[in-house]
Amino acid sequence: MPLHSTNGLVPSADSTAASSFLVATILLVEDEPVTRTSMAARLKRLGHRVLEAGNGREALEVAGRERPDLIIVDWMMPEMDGPTFCESVRRDPTMKSIYILLMTSHDQPAQIAEGLARGADDFLSKAASKQEITARVLAGLRTGRLVRELEVTGAQLESSLVLLQTKQTEMEADLQSAATFVHSLLPQPGSPAPGLSLAWEYQPALTLGGDLFNVTAIDADHLGLYILDASGHGVAAALRSASLMTFLQVDNILRQIGSYDPEKVLREANRQFPLSAEGEYFTLWVGQIHLPTRMLSYASAGHHGVLLSPNERPSRWLTRPSSPLGFDQEAVFVSDQITLQPADRLFLLSDGIYEAASPTGEPWGRWRFQQAVEAQQHEALATTIAHCFTEARRWQAQREFLDDAAVVGLELSV
Amino acid sequence: METLAVFVLSEALDLADGDQELFLTLANLFMQESPKELAAARSALARQDARGLAEAAHKLKGSVLPICAPRLFERAQRLELLGRQGEFAEAASVCADVESCLAEVHAALRNAIAGGFPS
Repeated sequence: MPLHSTNGLVPSADSTAASSFLVATILLVEDEPVTRTSMAARLKRLGHRVLEAGNGREALEVAGRERPDLIIVDWMMPEMDGPTFCESVRRDPTMKSIYILLMTSHDQPAQIAEGLARGADDFLSKAASKQEITARVLAGLRTGRLVRELEVTGAQLESSLVLLQTKQTEMEADLQSAATFVHSLLPQPGSPAPGLSLAWEYQPALTLGGDLFNVTAIDADHLGLYILDASGHGVAAALRSASLMTFLQVDNILRQIGSYDPEKVLREANRQFPLSAEGEYFTLWVGQIHLPTRMLSYASAGHHGVLLSPNERPSRWLTRPSSPLGFDQEAVFVSDQITLQPADRLFLLSDGIYEAASPTGEPWGRWRFQQAVEAQQHEALATTIAHCFTEARRWQAQREFLDDAAVVGLELSV
Repeated sequence: METLAVFVLSEALDLADGDQELFLTLANLFMQESPKELAAARSALARQDARGLAEAAHKLKGSVLPICAPRLFERAQRLELLGRQGEFAEAASVCADVESCLAEVHAALRNAIAGGFPS
């Protein structure tokens, strides 16, 4: 609220409370000169700067130019009466929040209701005592100041919201670009090597997922495959996963280690990806298939999610107890070997799918996943994977997963 | 009506927050403006203009408040009401009252101004 000089008037002792609290510009609109002069003198005595107008039209012009903090307007005036003046002020966006006291001798409820409905904030009787005038003016100034503060706060909030929305849009675009990039790193469904077919489905909890996988040719005789799961999810997990994925690229592994031996890959990954300062870590399952013999070598660092589903036989999990990457620099990861048979299926999955919880909190569980896979043994690989997602979603009674959910299927031809 | 005072100087000064100069200004302004309102009321009455009569009486009534002239205030208030109701017969009589009350107030104000104020 602007502060003004006291127009050369020295506040009297009884106006000290007013002048020490709020000194404002007040527009007084009254056609009758004796009342106007009397009221103006009182307001000036309270320390306010007083602007005067003899009718509503003149007052609108003064109000538009001077933006008073408060307007006191008479009800009955020629040309434009008080209520019509109030309506005009309320219609003007630059003046609509100015506090208006309607001066009247009307004290009937219907007339008060009319005045309020047409834009007055309060009433002031022409016969009001000095104390009442002081109190109503101060109350009006306080309210007017609060309204203006609210308007400023509202405007600031609105501009902050626009800024946030712009930033949010930019961030979403960035996340989408990053997600597109990460997706470009994932294997193409189809045939990664002669006699093998690949299908997968991936549902990140957010735009960017922290669970990644790959199935890729190492050389003419070997196929490498892995699935990794970063603790946590969202952008930070996705960035860390992308970093591990870069490490796991065939060219890099062959350059650093000399082979895609799962045991050696895990040992080196364990060395290069220690537990982060925030306590974040990875679990990783790495496999290598020697294509001529269908020999699968595999090793796991705390990852439990690879299921072998042989044709016409019960499925089983390919894992052994081990710690996640980075927990122990001296950790030893042991490879196991198994010869795959024609029509065998391997499923690499992240815990987001089998930890999907029902509304009562019970996880879907690895054994339900196993049952879903076995029930679909004769369906196409992609159909089986889609079925697993359908069942998990049905279990959790919602479409979106709380954690990244990935299922990668690899099938040997008959 | 008879019990109401013509003019109460102490209350008028009190309404002017004890400011004698302000009271003098208001009194002079009143003596200058009130005849115009009386003339407007008479004119409205003559042409049987109810609204014009009520507005003129209302304005006069408003100007009396800071002067503190209870009898004139009461008559002006009555005239305004009769104007609103279109009761021209009674209004003519009340308008005559207003005129005589106004003359009394003017005389009282002139006396007060000439006689000085109580210290």
